[in-house]
Amino acid sequence: MDFTLNEDQVLLRETARAMFGNECPPELVRDAFYDVTSSGPEAASSFFDRHLRDWAALGDAAVVDLCLFMEEAGRVLAPGPAWVNTSLFLPLLRAIEHPSADLVAAGEVTGTVAVCGSDGYWVLNNDPMRSFVPHANEVDVVAILSAGNQVSCVAVAELDLQEVATLDRSRPVFQFAVPAGLDSTEIGAEQLAVVLNRGTVALAAELIGVGRWLMDTTLEYVRERVQFDRPVGSFQGLQWKLVDAALLLERADAAVYYAAMCLDAGAPEQDRAVHVAKAAAGIAARRWARDGLQSLGGIGFTWEHDLHLRLRRAQASEQLLGSASWHHDRLAELIFAPD
Amino acid sequence: MKLTWGAEEEAFRDELLAFLDAEVPEEIKGGRDWIGDESPEIPKWASEFQAKLFDHGWMVPSYPPELGGRNATPLQTLIFLEELASRGVSRSVHFGGYAIVGPSLLEFGNEQQKGMAPSAIRGDTVWCVGMSEPDAGSDLASLQTRAVPDGDSFIVTGQKVWTSYAMVAEKCFCYVRTDTSVAKHKGISVLIIDMDSPGLEVRPLRHLTGAIEFAEVFLNEVVVPKENLVGELNSGWRITMGSLAHERGALWVESVSSAQRALEGLVEIARRQGLEQDGVVRRKLAELYEEVHSLRALGYKGFASFAQGSSAPEHSFMKLATSELRQRIYAFGMELQGPYAAVVDPEFVEEGGRWQQSWQISLAGTIGGGTSEIQRNVVATRVLGLPRG
Repeated sequence: MDFTLNEDQVLLRETARAMFGNECPPELVRDAFYDVTSSGPEAASSFFDRHLRDWAALGDAAVVDLCLFMEEAGRVLAPGPAWVNTSLFLPLLRAIEHPSADLVAAGEVTGTVAVCGSDGYWVLNNDPMRSFVPHANEVDVVAILSAGNQVSCVAVAELDLQEVATLDRSRPVFQFAVPAGLDSTEIGAEQLAVVLNRGTVALAAELIGVGRWLMDTTLEYVRERVQFDRPVGSFQGLQWKLVDAALLLERADAAVYYAAMCLDAGAPEQDRAVHVAKAAAGIAARRWARDGLQSLGGIGFTWEHDLHLRLRRAQASEQLLGSASWHHDRLAELIFAPD
Repeated sequence: MKLTWGAEEEAFRDELLAFLDAEVPEEIKGGRDWIGDESPEIPKWASEFQAKLFDHGWMVPSYPPELGGRNATPLQTLIFLEELASRGVSRSVHFGGYAIVGPSLLEFGNEQQKGMAPSAIRGDTVWCVGMSEPDAGSDLASLQTRAVPDGDSFIVTGQKVWTSYAMVAEKCFCYVRTDTSVAKHKGISVLIIDMDSPGLEVRPLRHLTGAIEFAEVFLNEVVVPKENLVGELNSGWRITMGSLAHERGALWVESVSSAQRALEGLVEIARRQGLEQDGVVRRKLAELYEEVHSLRALGYKGFASFAQGSSAPEHSFMKLATSELRQRIYAFGMELQGPYAAVVDPEFVEEGGRWQQSWQISLAGTIGGGTSEIQRNVVATRVLGLPRG
């Protein structure tokens, strides 16, 4: 068990951090968030086109590498479909040996996945509808998964997308009626689990990045903000709250990379590790959104402060690919499963 | 980042496991959640096991053979602690000698005092550590036991409390005040005091559990030779920071492993109590599982920084997190027994009362070795960089 990053991983993280730092300033993120015109989020797609298509091949890389990238993307709240395209769509196409997989890795074609039926749970089904399909308006292809481990790839243009507004406008989700008579390919149950695990851990890594921004921003604020002639961060009531929240984030961070290592090694405990990672990351990010907001006081409860963007992402991502409670219940099934 | 160790580490593990399979005493083979019993005497099997560990280089593996080790690397030390902890095997029933006194003598003692380290680590000499006092608990630096120079001696007067194994120890590694005119951290020294010195009285103090493990130590004009001073005069505060730096990167292993074994026990109780399908029980167990396993990952992450010589802020969280987690795990183990949760008669409860006993012991975990409140203050200022209150 070695958490030491190798040189390539250090370089990857630094390159990603520098790219996001230079190319994805808060103004761009806000523009992407507030531009909800009928033509779609232009700032989001242009940022993705200019900078994130080059990173699509990370979908073929080690999960640890993918997570390092997603954490940085989450920290700045990078606009666009990078998470779903890289972490779910590309691995899914690889798993079924789809002829377009290389084009996706090259950043020339993009896609998303449609799993949930109308009930919104990320479980394969035969519902006539697919819901909670992320970023469907920003990609070329939707891979529809159905009961019996069937995968159908459909051009977005052929679907009648309906946006369902969520708390998080920076990650739009859509529903559509599944067209009749689609060709489909079967994916092996084990391969499907690998794909979903990969997407889940990558989303958890993104949540860690969201949590890191919230933690850094909060700590900086309470060190500087003076009330009653002293920095509010010197009050024990606030300190202990933030220590507990920091512990949640630190252990979630470690759990995410542990799960990534388990996936890369094909370890027997990988399913458990993924449930732990997503549950812990969702809990930690939401806790920092809540306690960060409380620590910032009135300024945090404004439209102009960027905190609400993260609060929304934390709340919405908690539900994508299963909430903490959902993962805990899956974990319980494994804990009580006969050996 | 990778999940597995190299061949050299695995060879080390194999050798260790062969030793443990052959030598772990029957009394602790099944693992124990606690140490300390009704009697303060150190059992024979425990002394023999400690000596055997020392003689085979398994007592403090990072030390050289003459100190009970085998020059193990940090990684090997991690593996060592992990294998011991996963079996619930303790190296010693009196940790002060090998974990605090031995390492401190080696780091701060003169040649003659360094020579006392091997027997402290092997357990041949039982030591107690005189730190806390009635008015110096969390605020250790305010200790008031006075040592006044008198010719070739110090005359020591004062009181220590919560001193583990004082009633069976031969020697005390004792923190005393040697200068009252300076800031409290700067007037502390360490003396080696023979427990049979005239004027020294030990009164056993029962734990809340009923066990006798610690004591009050009264010192009334105890004469201590000046050569028993450890390190420089008034440099004692530095020595409090000394203990077992070699193992600091992996001290969390024992508490996480103990929590993990307890959690596995919870699953078995839930099965036996017919609560396997109870939704509330299932979710609670899964939450605890998430907590235990993410803390293990956090410990490993900190270890990676530690092994590279960096500071490991992750480890500042571990004592705080694992001590509170263990309290909740044991309390849940009682709750799973329904109305029998409060019963301690071994005939009527799960595992002879293990859960009730361990729950009581776990209550000390958030007090001893730095309270949870102090831990939170330390993390707030040193890790999160928040201003002091």
